Amino acid sequence: MNAVLEIEDLRIGFGPLEAVRGIDLVVERGQTHCLVGESGCGKSVSALSVLRLLPKRARFSAARLAFEGNDIAGLGERGMARLRGDRMAMIFQEPMTSLNPAYTIGSQMIEVLRRHRGASRAAAVDRCIAMLERVGVTAPAMRLGQFPHQLSGGLRQRVMIATALLCEPALLIADEPTTALDVTVQAQFLRLLADIQRQMGLAVLLITHDLGVVARVADRVSVMYAGRIVEHGATGAVFAAPRHPYTRGLLASIPVPGKIPPGGRLGSIPGIVPRIGAGFAGCAFRARCAVAMPACAAPVPEHRLADGHRFACHLGPDGAWSGA
Amino acid sequence: MVGGMNHVIEAIGLSQVFRQRQGLFASARQVMAVDDLSFRVAEGSALGIVGESGCGKSTLARMLLGLLPASAGTLRIGGADLRGMDRRARARLIQPVFQDPMSSLNPRRRIGATIALPLRVQGTGRAECRRAVARMLEEVGLAPEIAARFPNQLSGGQRQRVAIARALIVNPRILICDEPTSALDVSVQAQILNLLMDLRARFKLTLVFISHNLAVVEHIADEVAVMYLGRFVEHSANAEIFAAPRHPYTRALLASVLTPEPGLGLPEMPLGEGSPDPTNIPPGCRFHPRCPLATELCRNQAPPRGAVECHFAASGAGA
Amino acid sequence: MRRAALSLGAAIVAFAAILAIFAPLLMPHDPFAQDLTHRYTPPFWLPGGSSAHWLGTDGLGRDYLSRLILGARISMLIGVSTVILSGIIGTTLGVLGGYFGGRTDAVVMFIISCRLAIPVILVALTTVFMVGSGLWVVVLTIGLLLWERFAIVARAATRQVSGLDYIAAAWAAGCSRTRVILGEILPNIAHHLLVIATIDMAIAILLEAALSFLGLGVPPPLPSWGLMISEGKDYMFFKPWVIEIPGIALLILVLGINLLGDGLRDRLGARTEQ
Repeated sequence: MNAVLEIEDLRIGFGPLEAVRGIDLVVERGQTHCLVGESGCGKSVSALSVLRLLPKRARFSAARLAFEGNDIAGLGERGMARLRGDRMAMIFQEPMTSLNPAYTIGSQMIEVLRRHRGASRAAAVDRCIAMLERVGVTAPAMRLGQFPHQLSGGLRQRVMIATALLCEPALLIADEPTTALDVTVQAQFLRLLADIQRQMGLAVLLITHDLGVVARVADRVSVMYAGRIVEHGATGAVFAAPRHPYTRGLLASIPVPGKIPPGGRLGSIPGIVPRIGAGFAGCAFRARCAVAMPACAAPVPEHRLADGHRFACHLGPDGAWSGA
Repeated sequence: MVGGMNHVIEAIGLSQVFRQRQGLFASARQVMAVDDLSFRVAEGSALGIVGESGCGKSTLARMLLGLLPASAGTLRIGGADLRGMDRRARARLIQPVFQDPMSSLNPRRRIGATIALPLRVQGTGRAECRRAVARMLEEVGLAPEIAARFPNQLSGGQRQRVAIARALIVNPRILICDEPTSALDVSVQAQILNLLMDLRARFKLTLVFISHNLAVVEHIADEVAVMYLGRFVEHSANAEIFAAPRHPYTRALLASVLTPEPGLGLPEMPLGEGSPDPTNIPPGCRFHPRCPLATELCRNQAPPRGAVECHFAASGAGA
Repeated sequence: MRRAALSLGAAIVAFAAILAIFAPLLMPHDPFAQDLTHRYTPPFWLPGGSSAHWLGTDGLGRDYLSRLILGARISMLIGVSTVILSGIIGTTLGVLGGYFGGRTDAVVMFIISCRLAIPVILVALTTVFMVGSGLWVVVLTIGLLLWERFAIVARAATRQVSGLDYIAAAWAAGCSRTRVILGEILPNIAHHLLVIATIDMAIAILLEAALSFLGLGVPPPLPSWGLMISEGKDYMFFKPWVIEIPGIALLILVLGINLLGDGLRDRLGARTEQ
C-alpha cells in the first residue's frame, strides 16, 4: 500500500445540515482520484476539511484522517500550517482568489519557498523560474515581475499550479481547477497536470462536476451524492458498468457528439438535490430515482465487487432487491 | 427570398466596435467584438454558435436582441430592419434566455410578475396575464404556486425554467439562448436542454443557441457557426461540421470535448498558450498565432471569406 | 447582538416618531406658557423638584418636558423633510448618471464634486443669516446641501444593477426607459438608499441643532433641542440639567437612528447576497 491520504468516516455539518455523512477515501501515490458530484453534494467541503480550511462554524469529525501514514486529525493549527503548501497543496477554480492581486507573481512564489524551505532569495528565484518553465509558462523570468491581472486565465492557472508544486508536495488537491477555463485551455491544462503527476509521482485528489474530465484523467473515481459516496471504483469499471442509478443517470445526461440521433432526448434526473438534516434515514437519492421503492427508506447496504468497486444501493449487483 | 426559404434573421456586414480605456492616461483602444459578419437563419431552424471567451458571441446575442446597436451593418429580424423597430414589436419577435439564472431574474419581483412582464408591456390586462402565467408555468414544468415566490427561493434549474417561461409568454418567433445551461449541474442541464427541444417544436421557434460547449451545440443545433475573434471561421450544417471539421480551430474545439470515455485519454492541443485578444486582432488570418498549420501566407494574408475561413480549407490539409 | 442593536434603534426611532406625531396630546403643559414665578424649577429627582414639572422649567418658567416633546416633533420633522428633499435630488442625479453613463455621468460627477467643495456649515449659516431663520428655511437649506451621499450611492448601485441580466431581459421584453428605471433599477437599489436616509437624517438633525444653537435655526419661541441647549448655556455651570436634558435627548435619537441604519444595512445586505 502506498496511501498518501486515508480518510475514514468523515462527517461535516453546518448548523442543521449534514453536508458530508461518513465518507471513506484513499488516494495513493501517483494516482488521480476524482471526487465527482453535483453542486451541494459535499465534495468541496470534504477537500477543504483535509487541509483543515473549513469555516469555524462547521462540525467536523473523522474516524481516521491520515497523511503519509501519520494521523493528522489531531494536528494543531501550527502543524497543519507547516503541511499546507509544503507536503500537501491545493489549487482552486478561480486563481484570482488564491493569488493576491496586490503582489507580483514572483513575490508570492518566493514567499512560499522562504516560509517552508528557508531558501535564500537567489535560490528561490531560480527555483521559481525553473518551476514556471516546467509548467509551460514562456518567459518565466518576466512573469515573476507581473501582477496576476496581467495574465490570461490559463496562465494564471499555470502560475497557481507552479506555486503549489514549489515544495514538491506528496498530495495535490485540485478543486474544479478547469471549470473557469475555456475548453481548449482546459485540455491543455489537464495534460500538463497529468505530465507533472507522472514525473513527480504526485497523488492528486481532483474535485469536479464534469464526468468527461473524470473519464479522461482519473484512475479511481468516487461519485458523491448528498454527502455520501454512492459509488466508487476504478474509472474504467465504473464508466463501463455503472451500478448506482445516480451514476447511470449522470452518464446518460451528458450530451456526446454523435451518440444521440437528431431530435433525441437526453436522459435526465428529475427533481433537485435534497438538503439532508440530522435523522435522515435511507437512500438520499430515492426521491429522484427511477427504480426507487418504498423500502429505499431503510438504511442502504453497500455492495462490494472486484477491484474495490463498491456502491450503496438497495438493488444488488445483479439488479435484484438485496433485502437489507 | 431565394428558394422559398424564409430567413427570420439576416445579418449583413454586422460589426461591433467598443472603445476601451485601460488606464487614466492611456489612449482608448478599439475592441473589435464582432467583425463584418454576414449570415442568415432560416425560420424554424436552430443556429448554434460556439466559441471561447472573448470571441464576441455574447455581444452578438445582445445585438440580435436589439440591446446593442450595431456599429456598422444591417440586421433584419422577421424581414424588418431592427434599427428603428418599435420596442414592443421587437419584443414580440425575439426574446432571450441568459446564462446566469441568479442574475436574470429581478430579485425584488415575484416570479408571476417576472413572467408576466413582457405581456404587461404589450398592454395585456392583469387577469389575462395571470392566466397566461399559469399556462406558461405548466409549459415549463413548474407548479402554479411558484408564481407567488421570489427568485431566491428557487433552484438554478427552476430559475432557468422561469426565464424560459418569461421569454415564451409573448409567443416570439425567435429565442436567443446565451449559454443557458453553463451555470447548471449536468443533470439539470439535460432537463433544460430537453425542455428547450420540446418547446422549440411546440412553439415553432427559431433558435440561436450560444455556448462554449460543442457537445451541447451538437445536440440542439441544425447549423453550427464556430466563432473566433468576431468572425465565423466555420459555418455549416451540424452533421457536416462534426463529421468533417475543416477549420483547424473547429478541429481543436471538437478534440477538446471531453466525452465520458475513459479509454481515450486527453487530447493533444497544439494551440500554444496564447489567448485570443479582441483588442489586438492579428494581421493575416486571425487564428494564425495559435494555429499548428500556420505558414507565411497565413501571417500576411487574410483567408478568403466563405463558409470556412482558412487558407487550407479547400485542400483539407493537416486533417 | 446585531439584532438587539437593530431592535433598540428601531424602538428609539419609533418612540421619537410617536412623540412627534402625538406631541399635542402628550404634552402635559402648554410649552409656550411662561411662569416667571417658577423659573429654573429643577427636575423631580433633584432637590426642589416637583411633580408638577417632571423635567423642571426653563428660564421663562416654561415646562421643560412639554418643550422637549415639541422639540422631538421639530427634530423629526426636519430630519424627515430634509431626507425626502435631499433623497429626491441625490437619487435622481445618481440614477441618471449611473444609468446613462458617458457625458451625463460626467456632468453628474461634476455637480457632485462642486457640492463636495461647499463647506456645509458655512453656507448654511450664511444662507440662514441672509434669508432669515425659519423652520422651512432650515429644511430647504439642509436638504439642498445634503444630497451628495444619495447621489454617490445611487450612482454606484445603478451602475452595478444596470449590467445585470434581468435589466437586459426587461429591455428585451420591450420595457420603456422609464419602466426599466422605475420598475427594475429603483427597487433593487432602494435598500442602499434607505441606509443613506438614516445617516443623512441623523446628520440633518445634528445640523439643525447646531444652527439653532447659533441662533440661526428654528426661531424662538419654538423649542428646538439645539435652541434649548443654547438658551440654557449661560446656566450650564450652575444648573447643568438645563443643557443635559436636551443634550441627552439629542444623543439618544441620533444614536437610535444610526443603530437602525447599521442594522438595516446588515439585514438588507445579507438578504440580497443570499
